[in-house]
Amino acid sequence: MPVRDHFVTNLWHYRSLALNFFQREISGRYVGSVSGLFWILIHPLALLGIYSVVFTTIFRVSLPELGTGSFVAFVALALWPWLAFQEGVLRGALAVQANAGLVKKVAFPNELLVHGAVCATYAVHGVGFLAALGVIALTGNVLHFEALPLVLLFLSIQLLFTLGLALGIAALQVLLKDVEHFLTPFLMIWFYATPVLYSVAMLPERLQPYMLFNPLAYSLGRIRGLLMHGGGFILADGAALLGAVLVFVLGRWFFNRLAPHFEDFL
Amino acid sequence: MSTPLIRMQGVGKNYPSMNSGASRLRTVASLLLGSANIPHYTALQGVSLELARGESLGLIGENGAGKSTLLKIIAGVVKPSGGSLEVNGSIGALLELGSGFHPEYTGRENIFLAAALMGLSKNAITEKLASIIEFADIGDHIDQPIKHYSSGMVVRLGFAVATAMRPDILITDEVLAVGDESFQKKCIRWIEDYLAGGGTLLLCSHSMFHIQTLCQKALWIHEGRPRMLGNSFDVTREYLTYHEEKNSQAVRGEQATNSSGVYQIRSLWLEDDAGSPAALASMGGALRICGVVHSPDDRAPVILFGIVRADGTPVYGTHSNETGYRPNRIASSRFGFCARLSGIQLLPGKYTIRAHAMDPEGLRLFDTVETSVRITGQTRDYGLCRLEHEWLPGREESNTMEES
Repeated sequence: MPVRDHFVTNLWHYRSLALNFFQREISGRYVGSVSGLFWILIHPLALLGIYSVVFTTIFRVSLPELGTGSFVAFVALALWPWLAFQEGVLRGALAVQANAGLVKKVAFPNELLVHGAVCATYAVHGVGFLAALGVIALTGNVLHFEALPLVLLFLSIQLLFTLGLALGIAALQVLLKDVEHFLTPFLMIWFYATPVLYSVAMLPERLQPYMLFNPLAYSLGRIRGLLMHGGGFILADGAALLGAVLVFVLGRWFFNRLAPHFEDFL
Repeated sequence: MSTPLIRMQGVGKNYPSMNSGASRLRTVASLLLGSANIPHYTALQGVSLELARGESLGLIGENGAGKSTLLKIIAGVVKPSGGSLEVNGSIGALLELGSGFHPEYTGRENIFLAAALMGLSKNAITEKLASIIEFADIGDHIDQPIKHYSSGMVVRLGFAVATAMRPDILITDEVLAVGDESFQKKCIRWIEDYLAGGGTLLLCSHSMFHIQTLCQKALWIHEGRPRMLGNSFDVTREYLTYHEEKNSQAVRGEQATNSSGVYQIRSLWLEDDAGSPAALASMGGALRICGVVHSPDDRAPVILFGIVRADGTPVYGTHSNETGYRPNRIASSRFGFCARLSGIQLLPGKYTIRAHAMDPEGLRLFDTVETSVRITGQTRDYGLCRLEHEWLPGREESNTMEES
């Protein structure tokens, strides 16, 4: 089957389709809604409001490393990248099933559906993140904008990781419909196991090494650290990049191995 | 001729049968491990065919026979579970009404989506946009979401995109049937032009007319297996015969005649003029209907024969009294008869020949004996038989007749 061989050349051949899926993912979410593009910010802002009330007004959390910065800004710096990951996995995982009609009737590289969903989510939250950074800086917090290129690199590393994961789950979801029921609670547990609302330093010392097993802990921690304290590229970042590439390649292999059978299951 | 456009060897498709969670898990595991031992049902098996550039193939068969599965395999949507498949050319597939369209998008946006799905770049699509819209000819609806389209309009749009693509192989699955008369004609004109330009068509249709007009070859798939592959005229004829027989089986119940000491045809056969048995006769040729009839009182019985089409439609019947013919006595209480049909004008197909024995007075009909004959030949005529005719130039005064 020529359509599914030669992955790279093939993807280039279908670039306009990839772009179409990407645009469709973005426009599909606000076309027909009254709030338009504003919805990009509603979900993160609502979460941020809740965390702010719960942790600063009710629990009165005080973070030693926070210094003069606010808790809300501290959470916000990791929240947008996290949401990009969480929503990206969720949307990517369901992308093939959601487009069953297309997959069953038209021959095209099915992985483009997942790429479109994940990349669109990252684009949307990336824009929201930039807007949030502006607001954080304007409200008197010190941000190291010179580290922004490196932050973008980390977002890209995280995007690769998300793509790999989403591809794997999407393929499984087509074959085993139960995956989607496990996905939401799983992502919720992952959220609390990742230093978004807290920092790694706040964990009991015996728990801290376990954070090494959580790729998100590393990328979110680095993004937040870079923006709050500045810094440069370190060796561990290279390892993170390699790891993300590996996850992507594996996820893609898994997906494309099962893709020819999707039609049997949809 | 160079390498064939499509080459298939023993292609088949099994669908995994998954009725429980456990079997689903097993199926997934064996897919990943690459083992073939999966509980399945067979949708298609043993299809081998070669199609050269410029040839066109029609697929016919009953609902659920596996036609669409075969088209999907060739289109690359379905991976065959067995056999080898080689496709050397670009494919444009219209597998189903509006496949590749998004209901929320406008017609114009969907043109971009559908063309992108076929691997066209944005620039290439923009170039062809005008001609696509013109071919679809759906007016202002082009800027409305296609969820408000009628099915005919969706087909127009889908076909219009395919025309702009001009793929090496065009696959259409019974989509023509939805369009209105003028659009169908437009499509057929386009396809004829496309075929003349070296295009290859794979058409799945229940319209034998379309198959005969547009396809040179036809493949009849029956219950997942290829039943007949060949000239589209022969295959469609066989297929129609099969249906006629299937229908008439329901009508004709138990009409077996019991026989005891009455006038009775003991044997009936067909032969050619040379006297050798024949089950075939060419259109325009000759055929003899011969038999032996039993007469209990040794008097010559009256013979009646009739020809019916395979679905039971009577074509012609006559009895021996009509011409004063008397069967000749060949043995004690045995009479022989023979009727020669010459210049047979029956259209090609399968026909049943029935013979009956009647008493010498021609009053009572005692039994029915059947045999069948296949008339061969190639013609696009319709109906049961050909009527002698000739085409003449139109008369000049007919113009004035129309005006008055």
